[in-house]
Amino acid sequence: MSIYKSAILKPITTLLIFVAVIIMGVFSLSRLPIDQFPKMDPPYISVMTTYSGANASEIETNITKILENSLNSVDGLKELTSTSKDNISLVSLEFEWGINIDEAANDVRNAVDLIADYLPDGAGKPTIFKLNTSMMPIMGYAITAKESYPGLDKIIDDKVVNVLNRVNGIGNISLSGAPERYIYVDLNPQQLDAYMLSVEAVGQAIATNNLNLASGSIKMGKEQYQVRVEGEYVESSEINDIVVTTLPTGQQVFVRDIATVRDTIKDLTLDEKINGSDGARLMIMKQSGANTTQIARDVRKTLESVRKTLPPDIKIEPIFDSSEEIENSIFGLAETIAYALLFVVMVVLFFLGKWRATLIIALTIPISLVVAFIYLLMANSSLNIISLASLTVAIGMVVDDAIVVLENINRHIDRGASPREAAIYATNEVWVSVIATTLVIIAVFVPLTMLKGMAGIMFKELGWIVTIVVCTSTTVAITLTPMLSAQLLKAQKFGQNKDEKKRKLSYESTVVRMLDKVDAAYANLLRICLNHKIITMLVMLGIFILSMVPVGMGKIGMSYMPQSDNGRLNITVELQRGTRVEESMKTARAIEDMIRREVPELIIISSTTDSNDNGGIQALFSSTNNNKLSMTLRCVKKYERERTIWQIAEVIRQNINQMPEVINSTVAQGGGGGGAGGNDISVEVYGYSFDHTNTVAAELKRRIKEIEGARDVNISREDDRAELQIVFDKQKLALHNLNEATVATMIRNRINGYTAGYLKEDGEEYYIVVRLAEEHRNSISNLEELTIPSATGMLKLKELAEIKEYWGPPSIERKRRERLVKLAVTPYNVPLSVLAQNIQAEIDNMEIPQGVMVYVGGAWEDQQEATADMATLFLLIILLVYIVMASQFESFAKPFIIMMSIPFAISGVVVALLLTGVELNLIGMLGIILLAGIVVKNGIVLVDYINLMRDRGYELNEAIALSGQSRLRPVLMTAMTTILGMIPMALSTSEGSEIWVPMGVVVIGGLVASTLITLIVVPVLYSIFSRSGERNKEAKLRQTFVFFDNPDDDTNITTSEL
Amino acid sequence: MKAVFITFNQANTERVEYMLDRLNIRGFTFWENVQGRGTHDGEPRRGTHTWPEMNSAVITVVNDEQVDDLLKAIRRLDNRNKEVGVRAFVWNVEQTV
Repeated sequence: MSIYKSAILKPITTLLIFVAVIIMGVFSLSRLPIDQFPKMDPPYISVMTTYSGANASEIETNITKILENSLNSVDGLKELTSTSKDNISLVSLEFEWGINIDEAANDVRNAVDLIADYLPDGAGKPTIFKLNTSMMPIMGYAITAKESYPGLDKIIDDKVVNVLNRVNGIGNISLSGAPERYIYVDLNPQQLDAYMLSVEAVGQAIATNNLNLASGSIKMGKEQYQVRVEGEYVESSEINDIVVTTLPTGQQVFVRDIATVRDTIKDLTLDEKINGSDGARLMIMKQSGANTTQIARDVRKTLESVRKTLPPDIKIEPIFDSSEEIENSIFGLAETIAYALLFVVMVVLFFLGKWRATLIIALTIPISLVVAFIYLLMANSSLNIISLASLTVAIGMVVDDAIVVLENINRHIDRGASPREAAIYATNEVWVSVIATTLVIIAVFVPLTMLKGMAGIMFKELGWIVTIVVCTSTTVAITLTPMLSAQLLKAQKFGQNKDEKKRKLSYESTVVRMLDKVDAAYANLLRICLNHKIITMLVMLGIFILSMVPVGMGKIGMSYMPQSDNGRLNITVELQRGTRVEESMKTARAIEDMIRREVPELIIISSTTDSNDNGGIQALFSSTNNNKLSMTLRCVKKYERERTIWQIAEVIRQNINQMPEVINSTVAQGGGGGGAGGNDISVEVYGYSFDHTNTVAAELKRRIKEIEGARDVNISREDDRAELQIVFDKQKLALHNLNEATVATMIRNRINGYTAGYLKEDGEEYYIVVRLAEEHRNSISNLEELTIPSATGMLKLKELAEIKEYWGPPSIERKRRERLVKLAVTPYNVPLSVLAQNIQAEIDNMEIPQGVMVYVGGAWEDQQEATADMATLFLLIILLVYIVMASQFESFAKPFIIMMSIPFAISGVVVALLLTGVELNLIGMLGIILLAGIVVKNGIVLVDYINLMRDRGYELNEAIALSGQSRLRPVLMTAMTTILGMIPMALSTSEGSEIWVPMGVVVIGGLVASTLITLIVVPVLYSIFSRSGERNKEAKLRQTFVFFDNPDDDTNITTSEL
Repeated sequence: MKAVFITFNQANTERVEYMLDRLNIRGFTFWENVQGRGTHDGEPRRGTHTWPEMNSAVITVVNDEQVDDLLKAIRRLDNRNKEVGVRAFVWNVEQTV
C-alpha cells in the first residue's frame, strides 16, 4: 500500500506521528541556545618568541624568518603574517575557516620544534597560542564612582568580580582602569646626596624592616611555643619612621627626612573616563562554546543583586552587551518569519478561497519548520541569524507541494468524488511530480552543504535546513495533506449547487471572476506573442541588455559582509609621538566634549588613554602608548534615531580631523559579534627597502585621501619612536669599577622605581615603590644629574654616559614572507568594489620603484575570493538543476527553455538593487544562487503542462495558450508565496537586519522580474524550439510503421486486422 | 443469469460498491487499476503522466430481473458527473459451476 493511501486510511496514526514531530520540534526549540552566528572557531594561531635585547631587524632575520620558513609548510595555511618588534617576534598563521584548529596547532608545534635549535641561544621558547572566541568580551560595563574611586579596585574585585565568577560559563573577567593602590616613597635627590645615600639603600632599609618570620619553636615546661618575628607594616605611615642610616655623628636619618611617603593610587599611565568622570571598565569573557544569552541574563541578574551591596556612589552601566544584539536580531528575524507566515496564508486563502483548504496548507508550514529545530539540536547548533534566515527562505517554498496536492484533490471533489476517494486518487496522480520539483530545490541547496571555508560555515546550515525543511514539506504534502483533506473537506452536493452559489459578494463572483479574467487576458497575450515570436524575443533581449547596463557602468556596489548598525563606535586617535599622557588626556577631554556636542544620540562614552602596563592579556592585543587614545561610544538603538551610526561616525571624523594635534584617527563601527570580518580595504605595499616602501605608502596615502568615500586612511608601519638613549663610556665605567648592567639597573630604580616589598592589608598586597620624586626625573638635565653610587664615591650619570635623543626603528611587518606596509581604508557611502577600483586606478597611475609591489587586499580580497566561490557554486547548481530537469522531462532541450528565466532573474536583481541602493554582498550573492532554483520551478510547472497538452493532442500554439491559462494561477501563487514570504525580510529594520536585507531584495527583485518574463519567454521559446523537432517526430514515426501507409498489402488483409 | 461488466473511474469505487450492496448483489470480481479509453469521447485513463487517472472494473453475475435495476443505478451514477464516468456491458452466462 502506498504511503499516501496508508496515511488516508489511518488518520489517527498519521495525525499522531505529526503531533510527535511537533512535540519533538518544540522541545528542541526550547533547548536551542541563541547565538549570532553558527559556531565557528576563528582559525588563527600565533607563535610568539622573545629575544631580549634584539631590535626589530635583528628579530626579523634571526627569529621571524626562520620560523616563517618552517611554518609555511603547515597544512591548510592560508596566510602567514608576522610582526618583528624590539625583543618580540610574533608570527600569525591564518588557516582556512572550518579547519580543525587543534590539529593545526599540533602541526604548528611540530614545525616550531623542528627549528627550535636554529634559533639564537638567548631567544625564549616560542609560545603557541590559539585565538579563541572566549577571548572576545561578550559584555562590557562602565563603573563610575565618586567618593569610593580610590578604593574601586578592591570593592569591585570583592563584591562584583568574585560574585560574577560564580556565574556558569563565564571565562574571564577583566577590570581595566580601576585605580590600584600603591605606596610611593618619593625621594629628594639633593637630600640623598647630602646624606650620601642611594635609592637602593633606602629601598633595602624599607624592605628589610618589613618582615614576618617564623623562628622555630621553644619548649617551656610542658608547653611548646612558636617563635615569630612580626615586623610587617600595618600602616603605610610606619614607613616614615624607618631609619635608613645612622650618621657618624650618631644622628639617625629617617625616611621622612629624605622622602615623602604617599599612600595613594597608582600614578597615571592609564586614564579611564566614563562620560568624562572617573571610572573603570569591566569586561566579561565567556568560556568557548558557552551560551552567550544565558550568561548575559545571569550576569544582569547577579549585577542587580550586587548593586545593593555597593556604596551608593558606585554606578554600573552597560557599555555593550552582545547578547542584546543577538536577541534583538533573532527576535527581529522571528518577527519576519511570523509576518511571512501570515502573508503566505493570505495568498493561499486568496487563491483557493476556502478556509479549510487554507488551514490544511498552512499546517504544513509549522510542521516543516519545526523539523529544522530538531536538526539544529542534533547538529549541536543554535538559533542564529543564518538558521532563522534559512527558515524565512524556506517558508515560501514549503507550501508549494501541499498546494499542488490540495488543488488536485479539490478538482476531484469539485467533480463529485467523495473527499476520501478524491484524496487517494488525486494524490496518486501528482505525487511523483511533487517529488520531482522537490528534487530541483534539493539540487540547489545540497551543494551549499559542501562549501568550505568561511562561506561553508555560513551556508552549510542554510543548505541543510532548506533541504530538510523542503523534504519534510513534501512528506507532509503526500501524507498529512491528503489525510486532512479526506477528513476536513466537504463533498460537493452535485447537480444543484451551480445556481445556488450566485450570491453577489461571494468568493466565486468576485475573486474567481477577476482571476478568470486575468487568466483569459494572459492567454490572449500569449496568443499575440506566439504570432510575433521574433519581435517578442527581440524585445525581451532588449530588456535584458538594458538591465545589464548599470552593471557595466559599475552602478551596482559590491561589498563583502554587511556591517550592522549596533549603535557602537570605536574611536582611536593617535597624537604626536612622545606626547605625554597628561596632554593626551586633554585631547581626550576635548574630543569627548565635541562628541557630546555633536552627537545628541549618545548614551555613554568611555575613553582610555594609554593601556595599563600590566593589564593582563587584553593589553597584549591592544598596542597603546601615551600618544594613543581609544574611546567606545554607545548610542541609542537604531530605530530611535534618525542618523545611522555611519553618519554619526562621519560627523565625528570630520571634527576630529580639524584638531591639529591629531595625526591619525579611525572611527570604526564597534564590533563584538565576532567573525563577521571588517569591511575595509587594505592596500599592501611589499618591498624590502624601508625607504622605498615608506615613500610609496606616503604617496598612496596622499592620493587615496583624495578619492571620494575613502576614510580613515592609515599606514600600519609605525613611525620611528622617540627614545632617550644612554650611551655609556665604557672606559669611565671600568675606571669606577662599574659595569653597564649595574648602572642600567640603578637608572631603572631611580626612574621606574625600586620595589621595596609590599604592604599587606586584608589579604591584599600593595606595592611599595621607592624612586625619585617626579620633579627630579622629568628632563634630560635631571637624567644627567642622577647620582650613581660607586666604590670610588658618588658619581653623576653625565660623568659616565652621554644622553641622546634617538628615533627607534619601527616594528617590521611581514606577510607571505615579505616585508610590507599596509594602508587601511574604510569606505564611507561608497561600495567597497568602487573604492577598490578607484584605488587600483591610482596605483596604476603611480610610479612604483623597482622591488616594490602594491596589492589591494583586505575585505576586498576576501570578497573577490567569495565571489569566485559563488560563481563556481552557481555553475555547479545550474548543472545539477539541469540534470534533474532533463531527467524529469526526458529531454535535453526543454531544460534550456526553462533556464532562460535565470538571466531575467538577474535583470530583476540588478533593477531591484539599483532602486533600493542596496549593495550586493555575500548574502545577496547567495540570494542569486537560490533564485536559480526558485525561478526554474515556475518554468517547470508551465513546461510540464504544455508537454501534457501536447501529448493530449492539442495543436502547439493552442496547447501553449491553454496551458498558460490553466497554469497561471499556480505559477502566480507559488511565486507570490515566496515573494511575500521575503518581503518582511527585505523591509526589516531591526538590529542586524543589514545582514539579510540584501537577500530579501535580491530574491524579490529576481523573482518578480523572472516570473513576469518567464510567463512570456518560456512559452514563446517552447514554440520556437518545438516547431522543427515535433514535426520530425511525426515523420519519424511514420517511417517506423510503414505498414499502415503501404497500399500494396491492402489486398491481403481485412480492415479488422489493421 | 447475466454477467454485468462495470468499468468506472477509480473515484467511483465506493459508490459502485455501495450500489451493489443496495441492490443485494453479493458476488462480484473486482479489478483495481485497469486502463481504458472511451469509445467516443471518454478521456483515456492510463496512469501515465499525461493521463494520470485510472479505472477499476467489476464483473458481477446476477439474475435476469436484477439487471434493469443495476443498469438504472449505473446510469444515475454516470449522470452525476459525465467526467467521472461509468460504463456497463451485459452478456449471457451460459453455464456456471
